[in-house]
Amino acid sequence: MNVISASSITGSALDAEKMRVDIVSQNIANANTTKGIDGKPYQRRIVAFESLLDAAAGPNMQGVRLSEIKRDETPGEIINNPQHPHADDDGNVTMPNVNIPFEMVDMVTATRSYEANLAVVRNARQLATQALSIGR
Amino acid sequence: MEMVASLFSSDNYTAVKKMMDVSALRHASIASNLANVSTPGYKRVDMSRSFEDELRASIKSRNADEIAEASPRTEVDTLTPSTRADGNNVQIDSELLGLTKNTMNFNVLTDFASGSLKQLRHAITGRPA
Repeated sequence: MNVISASSITGSALDAEKMRVDIVSQNIANANTTKGIDGKPYQRRIVAFESLLDAAAGPNMQGVRLSEIKRDETPGEIINNPQHPHADDDGNVTMPNVNIPFEMVDMVTATRSYEANLAVVRNARQLATQALSIGR
Repeated sequence: MEMVASLFSSDNYTAVKKMMDVSALRHASIASNLANVSTPGYKRVDMSRSFEDELRASIKSRNADEIAEASPRTEVDTLTPSTRADGNNVQIDSELLGLTKNTMNFNVLTDFASGSLKQLRHAITGRPA
């Protein structure tokens, strides 16, 4: 048995949730990027999680990992702004497809999941400390 | 010698040891569930119901050998319905409640184990711990 039980599982979850917040911050940071490295408006990134069996922690125990970071292909809003440097001949600019409220909700969800996993770490430490002080 | 041996092979002491194993495994299950709170299609893991019945029966029998034989195991919980579109049936609040409850249970168990050892030390040294 591991002294800190299931620490690898919780570690994988903290990693994955942290990555999700990173992606959200990238999306929010690029909410107005009309020309990315590829010359096109920024497309928001979506993360996908998948579980993976953690044999070390026991049967049925599953860690988590970020399986894929995908681009959201939904077309962005087209606004008419002839003054914009990236406007086409008709004065239209295609904005990124980032929806700020949506990203905020995703960020709060990721933060709460991160906190839940931190609670697991706290409890695991308490279990280990208690077990080590048996007989004292 | 008789007293020392009987202390460590008593049904209560064996049951406490077994239940500490169960607590550790339950903690791992909850860790797995909370890790996968955002994984589509994940089904929560819980202590096996058949094991819980087995342990309850063996503790009731007050037979230390029978208690020691029960092997803690988990099962995938497909009975809890999913309230989400992605089929994941983990509920973060009930898992956190279970986590706290499990830690408290473990505290009680370690206290009992410590108590048995302290009694023994008291008997050997003649001084209360």
